[in-house]
Amino acid sequence: MPIYLYIDRRSAIHRLHPTVKVFALFVMFWSVYWVDHPLALLPLGVLMVALAQATGSWPNFYRLRWLFILLIFFTTLAWMVFYRRGPALIDLPIIHLSRASLVFGFGRGLKLAELLATSVLFLSTTKVEEFTAGLQRMGVPYRVGFAITLAFRLAPLFIDSALTVVQAQSLRGYDFDRGGPIARARRYVPVVIPVFMGALRKANNMAMALEARGFGIRAAPTSYIDFPLRPRDRLAFAIVAGIGVLYFAIYYFGYGAIAVS
Amino acid sequence: MHELRLMWRNTRMVVLCAISAALYAAVLVPFKVVPLIPGVTELRPANAIPIVCSFLFGPAAAWGSAIGNMIGDFFGGVGPGDIFGFVANLMYGYIPYKTWRIIADGQSPVMRTPANIAKYVAVCLAASVLCADLVGWGDNLLAFRPFSILGNIIIFNNMVSALVLSPLILYGVYPRVRAGRMLYTDMMPELAERPRATRIAGLTMLLAGEIGAWAMGNLVSTGYWMPSFLPASFAISPYDKAIAVTVSPLIFIALAGAWLM
Repeated sequence: MPIYLYIDRRSAIHRLHPTVKVFALFVMFWSVYWVDHPLALLPLGVLMVALAQATGSWPNFYRLRWLFILLIFFTTLAWMVFYRRGPALIDLPIIHLSRASLVFGFGRGLKLAELLATSVLFLSTTKVEEFTAGLQRMGVPYRVGFAITLAFRLAPLFIDSALTVVQAQSLRGYDFDRGGPIARARRYVPVVIPVFMGALRKANNMAMALEARGFGIRAAPTSYIDFPLRPRDRLAFAIVAGIGVLYFAIYYFGYGAIAVS
Repeated sequence: MHELRLMWRNTRMVVLCAISAALYAAVLVPFKVVPLIPGVTELRPANAIPIVCSFLFGPAAAWGSAIGNMIGDFFGGVGPGDIFGFVANLMYGYIPYKTWRIIADGQSPVMRTPANIAKYVAVCLAASVLCADLVGWGDNLLAFRPFSILGNIIIFNNMVSALVLSPLILYGVYPRVRAGRMLYTDMMPELAERPRATRIAGLTMLLAGEIGAWAMGNLVSTGYWMPSFLPASFAISPYDKAIAVTVSPLIFIALAGAWLM
C-alpha cells in the first residue's frame, strides 16, 4: 500500500485553504456521529461520491475497495452478535438477527465506511505540509506539526530501506518465506535492525542541521509556504459548518435514530 | 508525565519522536491490508516498535507511537474514535519505560535472567491492557464497536508483537544505542523522577484501574453483568451509557496512576 495517497489535480477542493480541509474532516466526524439510521447517512455518502468524482480520487477508492466492502460486511455481522434488540427473525445462541440489528449494524458499517472515505478524500487532496499548516492554524504547536511532517516524509524512506535490505538478503539466499506466520515475522527482524540503526545515524545529523537553521528559536517561525484565506475558502467553511449544524438538527429533532419496536 | 511536555524543547528528542513515528507507520501501513478481523483490526507486527522505542527514547517514543498510529489510521479510516487511539498509543509508548524504571531501575531490558523476562512481560502487559482499555472504552462510548471485541483483540495483538518481535529487535539495537549515548536518559539528563513511594502508588493505581476497566468493560459490553444502581434504560445494547458510567472512573484512576508514575 503506498504511503502517499495525494493526487495532484487542480480541483476546487485541492485549492481550498488547509484549515478549511481540516475543519471539514472534523465536521464529517461530527455529522456522522449524530445519526444512526443508514437512510440519514446516505446523503453524506452521496456527497462523498460527488467529491470523489470532482477531485479525481477514484484511483485511491478503487485501491481500497476491499477494505470498504469488508468494513461494512463485518461491522454489520459484529452487531448482529452484540445488538440483541427487536423481534428476532433468526435467533441463534450467538447471532440475533432482527430488523433492528440489521439496520443498526449496517448503519455502523456505513458510518465507518464514510469515515474511511473522508480520510481517503482528505489525503487525496491535501499535501502533508498543508495538513500540518492547517493543524498549526488550529493551535497545534509548531514542533508537534514539524514532527508529524517529518514522520510522514521519513516513513516511505524507511520502507525503501527495508525493501533494499530484503532484496540484498534474498540475493544472499536468505529465505523470508520459510515457516509459519510467527516464524516468518521473526525472519524479518534482521531487516528491521539495519533500518533502525540507519535511522538513528540520521537523527543526530538531522538535529544538528535543524539547530544550525535556528529550529525552535521562535514559537511561530516564518515559512516559505503561504496559504492566504480567499472568499471561496470562507464560502466552503460556511457550507461545511452548515452540514454540521444540519446533522445536529437531524439528531435533535429525533430523526436519524433507529426505532426499535 | 512532565517529560511528555519537556521533551518538545529538546531538538534531538523531537527528531527521535519523528523517527519513532515513521518507523511505526512504515511497518503499520503495509499490513493495513492484512486484517485479523476486517473492519476491526489488522495484523499489527508494527506494535513491536513502540515497545522497543519506549526503552530507547522514553517520552519521544510515547509521542512517536501516538503520531505513528495516527499516520496509520489515515490509511484505515480516521474517525472520532481515533482521538482515543491517539491517547491509547501515547500510553502504549509511555508505560513500558516508566514501569521499567520502577520495577527494574538501572537494569538493562535485554538481560536474559528469569526475573528480567518476567518483569519485561509484566511491563508489556501493563502497556497493552491500558492501550486496549482506552480504545475499547472510546469506541464503545461512541457506540462504534463493543468493548469486548477491541478490548481483547488489542491485548492479544500487542502482546504477540511485544513478546515475539520486540525482544529480538531490542537485543540487536539496545546495546548499540546505549554505546552511542542516544538513550533518552543521555538525551535528557535533566529529567527528575518523583519520590519512589509516589511512583509505586501510581503504578498500583494504574494496575488497579486498568484491570478493573478491562473486567468491567467485558462484563458490561456483553450484557453479562450490570451494576444494580444503573437505570434499566442503560442496560440495553450497545451499552454505551452503561460503559460511560462503569468504566470511565476506572480509566481515570489508571490515567491518574500513569500521571503519578
